[in-house]
Amino acid sequence: MTDTNSLKILLGDPSTALGVKKARAFFMAHMIAGYPTMEESEKVAEALAKGGADIIELQIPFSDPMADGPAIAVASDEAIKAGATVAKSLALLEKVAKLGKPVAVMTYVNIPFRYGFSKFVKTISKAGASALIVPDCPFDTEEGRELLTTCKENGMYLIPVVSPGVPKERLEQLARDASGFVYCTSRQGITGANSKFAKELFAFVKELKETFQLPIAVGFGVKSKEDVAELKKVADIVIAGSVFVNVIKTAGVEKIEATVRELIS
Amino acid sequence: MSKNPQKLGGAYVPEMLWDTLRKLSAEFESAKKDAGFQSEFQDLLRNYSGRPTPLIFAVRATKDLGGARVYLKNEGANHTGANKITHCLGQGLLAKRLGKKMLIAETGAGQHGVATATVAAKLGLDCVVFMGSEDIKRQRPNVFLMERLGTKIVPVEYGSKTLKDAVNEALKFWMENLDTAHYCIGSVLGPAPYPEMNRYFQSVIGREIRSELMDRQHKLPDAVVACVGGGSNAMGSFYEFIPEKSVRLIGVEAGGTGTKIGEHASRKIAGELGIFQGYKSLFLQTEEGQIAPTHSISAGLDYPGVGPELADLYTNGRVELTYATDAEAVSAVDYFAKLEGVISALESAHALAEVRKIAPTMPKDSIVVATLSGRGDKDLFNFARAFKDESFRDFLKDEYDRY
Repeated sequence: MTDTNSLKILLGDPSTALGVKKARAFFMAHMIAGYPTMEESEKVAEALAKGGADIIELQIPFSDPMADGPAIAVASDEAIKAGATVAKSLALLEKVAKLGKPVAVMTYVNIPFRYGFSKFVKTISKAGASALIVPDCPFDTEEGRELLTTCKENGMYLIPVVSPGVPKERLEQLARDASGFVYCTSRQGITGANSKFAKELFAFVKELKETFQLPIAVGFGVKSKEDVAELKKVADIVIAGSVFVNVIKTAGVEKIEATVRELIS
Repeated sequence: MSKNPQKLGGAYVPEMLWDTLRKLSAEFESAKKDAGFQSEFQDLLRNYSGRPTPLIFAVRATKDLGGARVYLKNEGANHTGANKITHCLGQGLLAKRLGKKMLIAETGAGQHGVATATVAAKLGLDCVVFMGSEDIKRQRPNVFLMERLGTKIVPVEYGSKTLKDAVNEALKFWMENLDTAHYCIGSVLGPAPYPEMNRYFQSVIGREIRSELMDRQHKLPDAVVACVGGGSNAMGSFYEFIPEKSVRLIGVEAGGTGTKIGEHASRKIAGELGIFQGYKSLFLQTEEGQIAPTHSISAGLDYPGVGPELADLYTNGRVELTYATDAEAVSAVDYFAKLEGVISALESAHALAEVRKIAPTMPKDSIVVATLSGRGDKDLFNFARAFKDESFRDFLKDEYDRY
């Protein structure tokens, strides 16, 4: 892992500092490349950074986002219809990375599979991304192993995505290869605006910390500052996503900055 | 030698499904060896679904085509009218063994949805079926039937609002209800163990073809032809004959209205290796890996992917793939209706269209078997429209007035 990985600098060396000794939890804001349009999504990124997001999660839209709820699925669909391509998303990534916040790229496995894993990881690394999230590519598949190797070679964190209900045995398997942080969904389900945090979530996050020895990012369903405050109690990184899609839809891109400020206030 | 060294299939799913799929695999393995499970499954196949299904000697079509003896394996004789009920019964029994209370399913044409709803009712399970809102509009009769069977239909309002979106939505619902729900996937696709499991249940088709033909002709077929959407009836028909190198295995895809992307659903025309909805296989997709739109007159073949085992058999040359157009399928329905008294589903008619092409080129003592995956009742409205039948249009108007 090179020291040019800005996420590593932000989180500190996870093997020693865990990023948990800091005073506050970090805030990771999710956005979709090309939503509502390619030009406007650049403004979304600027607003997220200005509003106070610590990390930006940039989703490269896929036609069939299996792990996303209707809000992000529909927005991905609209982004693609409005002309978002993988090539344009990667160009956007370069601009977003220049905003000075660590960027985690999220997408579905068929996108890097078609692009070529090595070429994909090299490209996003060169563009300034620090981490890669691929929720439908388990580490122990042929492609997962290839991604792990390529990411390692390029100083890129490959982030495991887990949720309450994943058994300890499996978490231990994943922990052997995990780096950067762990992406935890707050309920047994999909992204969305129903902010009912699973009861077992807090116990699960504790288990994750012990198993992975990495910062734990918790998301899916965050829509208010109360949600953020609640998750901050256990999470090292709080993730919000569909809330911004909804703001763009109902109030426009210009309300994004204020929304971030409100959420983390 | 294999042109494709990559292993197809796999389980490309979020981690939250890992444990569920593992338990399902284990239950499937144990059920295979369990005499109790086998006898319950066989009993339902025989005394509920009506197996074995007949192997029809298409005597007039054989004479007319002037070549191979043509046989039709009539899966349409199954309860609910198609091959789908076989893997639904198998999965329904597994779901009960796993202590699940609910079956969920995706459906395009509604055949798999009706089969799942039927099995859920029979086995005393709740049932939720996901269906694209476009398909709901096109397949109202099956929606009505599912509702009568006590199933809840959930319309899917995003994406292309068809089969692939229904799969996405069913997967999401499943991830939120893993403790109670079993996802009854409707073809030989999805994450492992589904492709193998559904093929295992469906392989009864090929075993019956072999024994029925042995009884009557004392030999193997020279060719077995089946339509291919995801591939459940094709894998079911072919599996028994894979080791029999003399038997040609021909899968017939949806040629739609043309060979451009969006005009057909044929992986032979444009399938590329990809990973989608939990499995690695051949998919219709764009250069960048976005899943491409598809078209077929038959909703059951209107899907971008093909089962991984079938894609494997195709890439290593054991199975041939070809396609029939919308027009050829409609014409094949008419041909076999007039000559054999068999009204085929539009899906199965793709296989029949291929039989019309190859039977005349084969020697007279050879045998071609086409699997009739389903009967045509469900396509009543589509047929009437395809044949521009004015009296049916008038009937619909009158029927509306009678409400």
